[in-house]
Amino acid sequence: MEIAGQIIGGETAAVLIRQKSDEPVELGDLLVAEGDGYTILQVKDLKYRSQIPQGMRELASGFNLEGYRGDVEFLEPELRNYIIAEARPILHVRNGEPMLPKRLPGFFREVRRIRDGDLAFLEKPRNPVFLGNVRSGSKVLETPVYIDALDAITHHILIPATTGRGKSNLVKVMLWSLADMDRVGMLVLDPHDEYYGRNEAGLGKHPSGNVVYYSPDAPVGGNTLSINLRALRPEHFEGIIPFTQAQEQAIAKYHNCYKERWIIKIVEGEKLSDVKSVTLSVLRRVFDVILGVYLDEDTGEIKSRGGVFRDVGGESTIKDIAGHLEDGKIVVVDTSRLMGEAELLVGSVISGEIFRRYQKYKSTGELRRKPVIGIVIEEAPRVLGKEVIERQGNNIYSTIAREGRKFNIGLVAITQLVSLIPRTVLANMNTKIILGNEMAQERAEIIGSASQDLSDDNRAIASLDKGEAIVSSIFTKFAVPVKIPLFEEFIESTDHEDEDEDIEFIG
Amino acid sequence: MYRFAHLSDCHLGAQKQPELRELEFQAFRMALDDALENNVDFMIIAGDLFHSNIPNMETVKRATLELRRVRDEGVPIYVNYGSHDYSPSNTSMIDILETAGVIEKVVRPIPGKKLGLEFTVDEKTGAKITGLSGRSRALEVDYFRNLDREALEAEDGFRIFLFHSAITQFKPVDFAEMDSIDLNLFPRGLEYYAGGHLHRRGCYLEEGYGPIVYPGALFGSYAGDLEENARGEERGYYLVEFREKAKTPQFRVIRPAEFEYIECDVTGKNSQDASLLIRKEMGEHDVKGKVVMFKIRGELSSGRTSDIDSAWIRRELESRGARVVQINRHGLSTREIQKVRVAESEIPALERRIFREKLAGVDIRNKSLMKRGDSLAVELLRKLENEIAPGEKKEEYERRVIEEAEAVMGVNLDDDNR
Repeated sequence: MEIAGQIIGGETAAVLIRQKSDEPVELGDLLVAEGDGYTILQVKDLKYRSQIPQGMRELASGFNLEGYRGDVEFLEPELRNYIIAEARPILHVRNGEPMLPKRLPGFFREVRRIRDGDLAFLEKPRNPVFLGNVRSGSKVLETPVYIDALDAITHHILIPATTGRGKSNLVKVMLWSLADMDRVGMLVLDPHDEYYGRNEAGLGKHPSGNVVYYSPDAPVGGNTLSINLRALRPEHFEGIIPFTQAQEQAIAKYHNCYKERWIIKIVEGEKLSDVKSVTLSVLRRVFDVILGVYLDEDTGEIKSRGGVFRDVGGESTIKDIAGHLEDGKIVVVDTSRLMGEAELLVGSVISGEIFRRYQKYKSTGELRRKPVIGIVIEEAPRVLGKEVIERQGNNIYSTIAREGRKFNIGLVAITQLVSLIPRTVLANMNTKIILGNEMAQERAEIIGSASQDLSDDNRAIASLDKGEAIVSSIFTKFAVPVKIPLFEEFIESTDHEDEDEDIEFIG
Repeated sequence: MYRFAHLSDCHLGAQKQPELRELEFQAFRMALDDALENNVDFMIIAGDLFHSNIPNMETVKRATLELRRVRDEGVPIYVNYGSHDYSPSNTSMIDILETAGVIEKVVRPIPGKKLGLEFTVDEKTGAKITGLSGRSRALEVDYFRNLDREALEAEDGFRIFLFHSAITQFKPVDFAEMDSIDLNLFPRGLEYYAGGHLHRRGCYLEEGYGPIVYPGALFGSYAGDLEENARGEERGYYLVEFREKAKTPQFRVIRPAEFEYIECDVTGKNSQDASLLIRKEMGEHDVKGKVVMFKIRGELSSGRTSDIDSAWIRRELESRGARVVQINRHGLSTREIQKVRVAESEIPALERRIFREKLAGVDIRNKSLMKRGDSLAVELLRKLENEIAPGEKKEEYERRVIEEAEAVMGVNLDDDNR
């Protein structure tokens, strides 16, 4: 057994371990103390200690710095000067069964570094979503970390991190596993067009063919994102686009009067007796700016900028997308060319359709035969933020955050600013995959709403490197430190062979 | 200015009732006549000329005479396979008619790394026609993916692209479950896109493309089509004028018969009251000389659905002069009997749903079979529907059926295993 240190004191929250001089211990390292099974400890802090009084150390340093080097050295320095690691027992394993530690490991017990075999209890779930490998400090173990897709998604997932810490990479790795399953459908609203991989490695390369791509400017093999104006209903705008009371009333009147052609009639400038002209003009302008639809005065036809929201065509797009999701596919919707509100609106229409369907399935008893649906939403505070909800009321995303679990629908919310999301919503996010974050306030919010006690992980979260994460979930016994592989390397390591079939043409 | 007629989905031989079969054929003859009267230079039939790849010989005989009449007028007819007349072994009736010089198939691949297509040049107008055939479950999507679009786009002249597929962007909302192909798989910038497969007409003007046109079914092959006719859907074909570009296509209505639609919702009524309601409803419609589509739907509060006597309804309507009566009672149920929900009204969709339900209950490890099983079963069913051809020996018929089944399933059963 290669000894890394020895327990020399402390308490439940911080066991003090003297580090062996040639076995440097890092923040976040996982150590094992054996005895009645074994206890896994995680290093939370590191401190210098010395047997030599402070004055003597300062003097010795002065000799060194000022050129009186000579043979100035402490007697047996590895004994007199050393590092103390403060570690917290995170798990006790007895007979292969993990349990929360309720007692301290043996006093003066030697500790060693964790080995893969110590984590044998981390089993592969039935619907495994691969997140990465267990990390001990900055060392990566062979042990993979999975969460069960059905459990985790329906209980919502939060991915908080500042920019550049690998959020998109993590989501791509997760989606790659999910693309193999037909029991999970994922809707990915992609505001940066980075998931499918038009020109680089992305989900589009998944060999299952379970990834469907929609874009206003779809490449060959993708689907063109076009949505007929008649598919939009007033409730799709709720909580997404702020309308005044007068505008809301006008919208309701147009909808009552013209049913599915309500937007077309507004854009055409069709007057209704009890709607003021100014309200109609504002609504026309709003639909012009947000949806890009306007009336061409020369031809009298409704035109569409960008071609997404349109008068002709795109009638079945929403149903098609919902159908793909119900088939357990991953649908990536490229919203990078849309205005912010239009992007959320697209998501709102699709999510609304899925929510409505799943409500119906629950009432008819068909829900258990349907795949779980997850919705990946980037910059989540845009729809789940306190201010947004207070100002504009609930929207479909906040409804899913609160009630989605009943209908097997969950959110995968990605954000840099957790503090903007209400506590009630955060508390419903039962799996948090925490990546690096330098902002103290954000860390405090994350720690405050985590499924495990991360109160002494503040520094660890701040020092998480790119691709390093802590998985805190009600479905894991402890907050598991993971190293997420780089997506490009990860997909090369998966043994998917390109199927390059010759097509026999008959026609 | 030149002209051509664009027809599709004639589905000759689809109707089983002699009267409807006659009307179906009449619609075909009327469309050809109308096109000839409009001095077309050529005609296009964008798939599903016949309802089956080896149709009833009487149907073939009559169709051949009509097509030959057109050809004898000096008007060529350009076709592709539709999903119904598709044959994996090029032995469809379409091929036989082509061999006989009655029609011309324009789907002609050029060997190469990508799927190149050769244009057929219409002698008189110089129009260049090419395209792809349709297959069931949009299996032709693989052809589209491999299509050498650049070569087609680089060709000059008046180019027509013939296809038999639903285009995702233009699918009507009630066709959402239909397999379709995204427009971005089509070559851009051609002068006319002659579509078939969707049984509802539509003409779409999309930037970067010539008119994308679906004439819809000429008469209708399913009860749902006929119901749409009765509810006012106009059937016919498109007449297109062109020189360098196509002018906006003109839809020519073909109406071989008048239709009448009657719908009766019996929800909450017992079977006796429902019959009274049906009688009252019938009395409010003028059915003389018309094809009557009668839809009865709703949940009876008591009594059996069989208490609603279809034979009586038919007799009543016929006694009032109805030409043909079709009764749709798929949406009829009763509280007394456990409800059976059938969402689809079209037979192929219904079949597929049933197969899918059955597959879900079978323990099959082969994932691809789980995915494709329903389409495979439907395709196989289509082949098994083919009847013995006149003059065909039983052994020949058996061999043909087995070969076609092998082609569908992608297997090769040697004689010993048969």
